[in-house]
Amino acid sequence: MNDQKASTAGPQSLLKIEALYKSFGGIQALSDVSFEVLPGTIYAVIGPNGAGKTTLFNIITGIYPAEAGAIFYAEREIRSKKVHELVNRGIARTFQNVELFESMTVLENVLVGRHVRTRCGFWGAICHFPWVRNEEQEAHQKAMELLSFVGLENVAQSRSADLPFGWQRFLEIARALATDPRLLLLDEPASGLNAVETEQLGILLQQIRDRGVTLLLVEHDMSLTMGISDRILVLNQGRKLAEGAPREIQADEAVINAYLGRE
Amino acid sequence: MRHVVFALFIALTGWWVTNPYYVQLLTFIGIYTILALGLNMLMGYAGQISLGHAAFYGLGAYISAITTVHWNWSPWVALPLALLITALIAFLIAVPMLKLTGYYLGMGTLGFGMILYVLFREWSSLTGGASGLVGIPALTLGSISLDSGNGYFYLVWGVVFVCFIICERIVNSRVGRALRAIHDSERAAGAMGVNTSRLKVWVFVLSAVFASLAGFLYAHLVSFISPTSFDFIVSIRIVTMVVIGGMASIWGSLLGASLLTLLPEWLHVFADYEMMVYGLVLMAVMIFLPQGLTRGILDSYERSKSKYSRASIAAQD
Repeated sequence: MNDQKASTAGPQSLLKIEALYKSFGGIQALSDVSFEVLPGTIYAVIGPNGAGKTTLFNIITGIYPAEAGAIFYAEREIRSKKVHELVNRGIARTFQNVELFESMTVLENVLVGRHVRTRCGFWGAICHFPWVRNEEQEAHQKAMELLSFVGLENVAQSRSADLPFGWQRFLEIARALATDPRLLLLDEPASGLNAVETEQLGILLQQIRDRGVTLLLVEHDMSLTMGISDRILVLNQGRKLAEGAPREIQADEAVINAYLGRE
Repeated sequence: MRHVVFALFIALTGWWVTNPYYVQLLTFIGIYTILALGLNMLMGYAGQISLGHAAFYGLGAYISAITTVHWNWSPWVALPLALLITALIAFLIAVPMLKLTGYYLGMGTLGFGMILYVLFREWSSLTGGASGLVGIPALTLGSISLDSGNGYFYLVWGVVFVCFIICERIVNSRVGRALRAIHDSERAAGAMGVNTSRLKVWVFVLSAVFASLAGFLYAHLVSFISPTSFDFIVSIRIVTMVVIGGMASIWGSLLGASLLTLLPEWLHVFADYEMMVYGLVLMAVMIFLPQGLTRGILDSYERSKSKYSRASIAAQD
């Protein structure tokens, strides 16, 4: 009902942000931020602390509303949609500090990710219909497939809280992938990872893109973003400072001044 | 397999125990188990506290008592009505209430329990006020009166058995996983597409319906009800059963309900010091088995098993 068609034509972008504004108290967290993410690409948002990266992330995922501006996902306005509706439409996310279901096993965590793609409710569970059993079986298969994709199939029955931190992050990505997303948002996926794990993460993210999932990541780690991103947006104090391919960003005067630092 | 053993155990107990006092005690354990099972779905699995569950227990008892005593309805017609009205009230309460979390949800449900308690006590024309309602008819199944012998025992434990299966199936399903997900991290559950507010409301309704069913069974067992059976202390006792038995454990509900019903009976030997010893036992359980009885017992079993297997490996070397 609220879905309006995006006004401007052009190359089919999966996510399109138009003139987003958000302030907290007197602080302007985001002002006039616009960009487009093309399907099948890795798009990174970088910037120093307090640049508005996380705010942008939380607005796209529906945690809090924007004051002005528009967000189009697959040509439809998604501002003011509820979080679970966004997941249903194919937007999944991970958290900066890894939020797993800690009392549950690794496999169960991924199975919760299948929630939106399955439909058994209270009655289905109580009556235990044949289709419920089939659905469970398919969900198990899909979950195990995703666990082996991120390399955690051998610890499927362990409690997720018992995994080392790096594995927990990979598990969180598998859980997000279980929702069959078209767009996966990653909030600082490399934070807390060592150099080896960061490298593995980079490879994994590229494999995810090759599966046809578009990635939007907010990141601090420059080596990761420069290495794998197709396009980069630099935010500074809530404003767009620069946007372009990694090479262009590395050469950009304003970015070097504000963020990378002069040598 | 476990279900067969459990059913057999119930049948054998009913056949073996003939002393009316013990039969009644066991029947009460069954009623409390239904209450604890329901609250465990809400508290143990979904992680939402309710300090007013006696209100739903009372609703089941009073609705059935009023319709059968005042209006001469059959109890079997009163039962669906009681469950339906309880579900409706629980739904209306849950929608605004479950926006609260933690202590605030505890306070909110506490207040709801108080309101219903006052209603039971003051609406004298219907509820009989503080002196209660007498002459609630016993249940009959066709021509069989469940009043005599162990009939009521079998009825209650039959219901417990069905409730067990219902809870177990929910817990091991997509819904059960979503409930536990809400308990662990509501934010992450939402990010997985779980409609957290809706699911919390439904599990609250389910848990209220269980309590209402227990209230119905209670009213027709004792044939007399008064508001004190549904006051704040009762709500706390149900919470204690869940916590002592083990949160998020179906068998824990049975264990907690049994312990909290039997303990006061066993402690009669302490006479004046009964309540002190009772309190001490509960404190000891929480200090030494903070996860509750089921988890605590399972953990120590696994520990001793691994210690034993390690010892046997060492012996082989």
